[in-house]
Amino acid sequence: MGDMLGHLMNGFAVAMTPYNVLWLVLGSALGTVLGMLPGLGPTTGIALLLPLTFTMPATTALIAMAAIYYGAMFGGSRSSILLNVPGDGAAVASCFDGYPMAQNGRAEAALAISAIASFIGGLIATVAFVLIALPMARFALKFGPPEYFVLMIFALAATAAISKAALLKGLISMVFGLMLTTVGLDYQSGTARFTFGIDELQGGIDFVIVIIGVFGIGEVFENLEHIAREIARPVQTKFGRIWITMEDWKRCFWPMIRQTPIGFVIGILPGAGGTIAALMSYNNEKQLSKHPDEFGKGAIEGLAAPEAANNACSVGAMIPMLTLGVPGSGTTAIMLGALLILGLQPGPLLFEQHPDIAWGIIASMFLGNVVCAVINIPLAGLLVRVLSVPGKILYPLIVAVAFLGVYTINFASMDFILLTILGFVGYLMKKFKIPSAPLILASVVGAMMEQTYRQSMMLSDGTFGIFFASPICIVLWLLAAGSIAWPFISEARAARKGAA
Amino acid sequence: MRPNAWVGLVAIVFGTIYGFQAMSLPKAPIGNPMSPIYFPLGLGVLMVLFGAISFAVEARKGLNSDDKSKRPQFHIKNMKLIFIVIALCLLYTAMFDRLGFVISTIIFLMAMLFFINGLNKTVQNAIITLCFSFGMWYIFVRIFQISLPSSPLGIF
Repeated sequence: MGDMLGHLMNGFAVAMTPYNVLWLVLGSALGTVLGMLPGLGPTTGIALLLPLTFTMPATTALIAMAAIYYGAMFGGSRSSILLNVPGDGAAVASCFDGYPMAQNGRAEAALAISAIASFIGGLIATVAFVLIALPMARFALKFGPPEYFVLMIFALAATAAISKAALLKGLISMVFGLMLTTVGLDYQSGTARFTFGIDELQGGIDFVIVIIGVFGIGEVFENLEHIAREIARPVQTKFGRIWITMEDWKRCFWPMIRQTPIGFVIGILPGAGGTIAALMSYNNEKQLSKHPDEFGKGAIEGLAAPEAANNACSVGAMIPMLTLGVPGSGTTAIMLGALLILGLQPGPLLFEQHPDIAWGIIASMFLGNVVCAVINIPLAGLLVRVLSVPGKILYPLIVAVAFLGVYTINFASMDFILLTILGFVGYLMKKFKIPSAPLILASVVGAMMEQTYRQSMMLSDGTFGIFFASPICIVLWLLAAGSIAWPFISEARAARKGAA
Repeated sequence: MRPNAWVGLVAIVFGTIYGFQAMSLPKAPIGNPMSPIYFPLGLGVLMVLFGAISFAVEARKGLNSDDKSKRPQFHIKNMKLIFIVIALCLLYTAMFDRLGFVISTIIFLMAMLFFINGLNKTVQNAIITLCFSFGMWYIFVRIFQISLPSSPLGIF
């Protein structure tokens, strides 16, 4: 416990340098704005802003990215409340009671409680993070290549198996993502794979291009289809005092405290993510409430619970990424990729070899929560003006930012062609409702997965038994199988409940 | 045909082509000669497998028994803007190194805004384009010291 506090204090010293604080504030503000824009959300937001961090020192880059992430989670609910259009999936549950509150003339209270709940959820989850991070990182030191390989299979399987309806499409998306990582020179043997004689492909397809293409450009293409019919959305930009009453606080306090741990645990599990955390906590709170009939009509606790849970979830999601080096969601996959670009290997050794970076990021989570709350409560009226920017202007600008960002990765304009192709692939995936999160995750961990696979095979002289040799591997296989089976089990349970 | 059956079919075709390509990859000159091939080959097999299951599941339900109004719609009229933007992206690729960041971005963004935001908003489009192009150039080149291609004129 003592060394943990010592590390944390050092982390604060790292995070509170003026340059890092500047990026913490800028990142939070940019993240809030990007998170607000419907359809963009944290994953695309971070992907678009990622190139900005290339010139920064590693710690600053990660602090900026974590700030963008939390900012986006804070901002995601603004458009849910004011427009009934969630900024991202995790903010869906905030529409249920947030929008009716705004319609009933309580927009100020809704904006305030969503920021307060996000702050409380994020803060409690960060304390839990501090307690768990070091033991988890130490446990992960027991992992060898076979354990890592199976861990990545678990993370991918859990992400692909989010719903029964899209299970096969999720798996296809995952395999496609892994295939993209096999393009380029094989660094172990020097063999060129799937380059078709194109020199530019020898370096491989950078995962940032995949993410910006599939998420960012794909999203723009999909919106362009019906942009001609776009109607201007009237947004409330004038507010009274953005705060809540004592009565509101009393109604929300326990729902926030109760739902935070649920969000946090869901965040640690790969695949589940903020949307599930928010929806689950909303349903829980509705069942626990003394007046469930008010839910959906503007019950303030119906907004506070999912907001606390989804922010706790975003903190929890950082645990596997930082301590194991294996991300559990699209957004943390991008952050992992950023760490790799900066020349750092995330995972247990990060805490041993670069404690300043690992604990600097953790300290910045505390600071980020405070900064986001400060930005989102008094400045809400100013920031929501972004929502009134029409898509007809916004989308061309997003395309231009995406191209500029992609150029700064390899300084090769040939990457623009890849970006355009992947954008069209992303558009088709949206049309056919193929989940893109498994593709993103696979494109980030694919190379690592192949490497651990080959290392394991070398260790075992080519026998597959090595993947079942240790208890950790067996537990991870069971978890992977369980996550594939879970959508079927939960559907069967729901059907039985319905029949009863 | 059901949309998911299409997805399955495309996965089978793509997985097959990829799998055959994987088999014909050059062998490693050192170590196990097949080592660069196993992983991609496994992916090709998995893609075909998932595609086949997906297709079979849909075929059992009846390939054409779904609600046709819920299928993804591809109308040329609606997709016109997408194709225009793709063409502009390719043009931007061709211009970028030759004309430099600022000039090519002005042309690219102005053209996109012209088609998407409309012809009657030329002044608004021009202001946005110029602010963005010069603003981004200033941020990246001057503040972040990231070099972007400059124009043949040598400035910007």
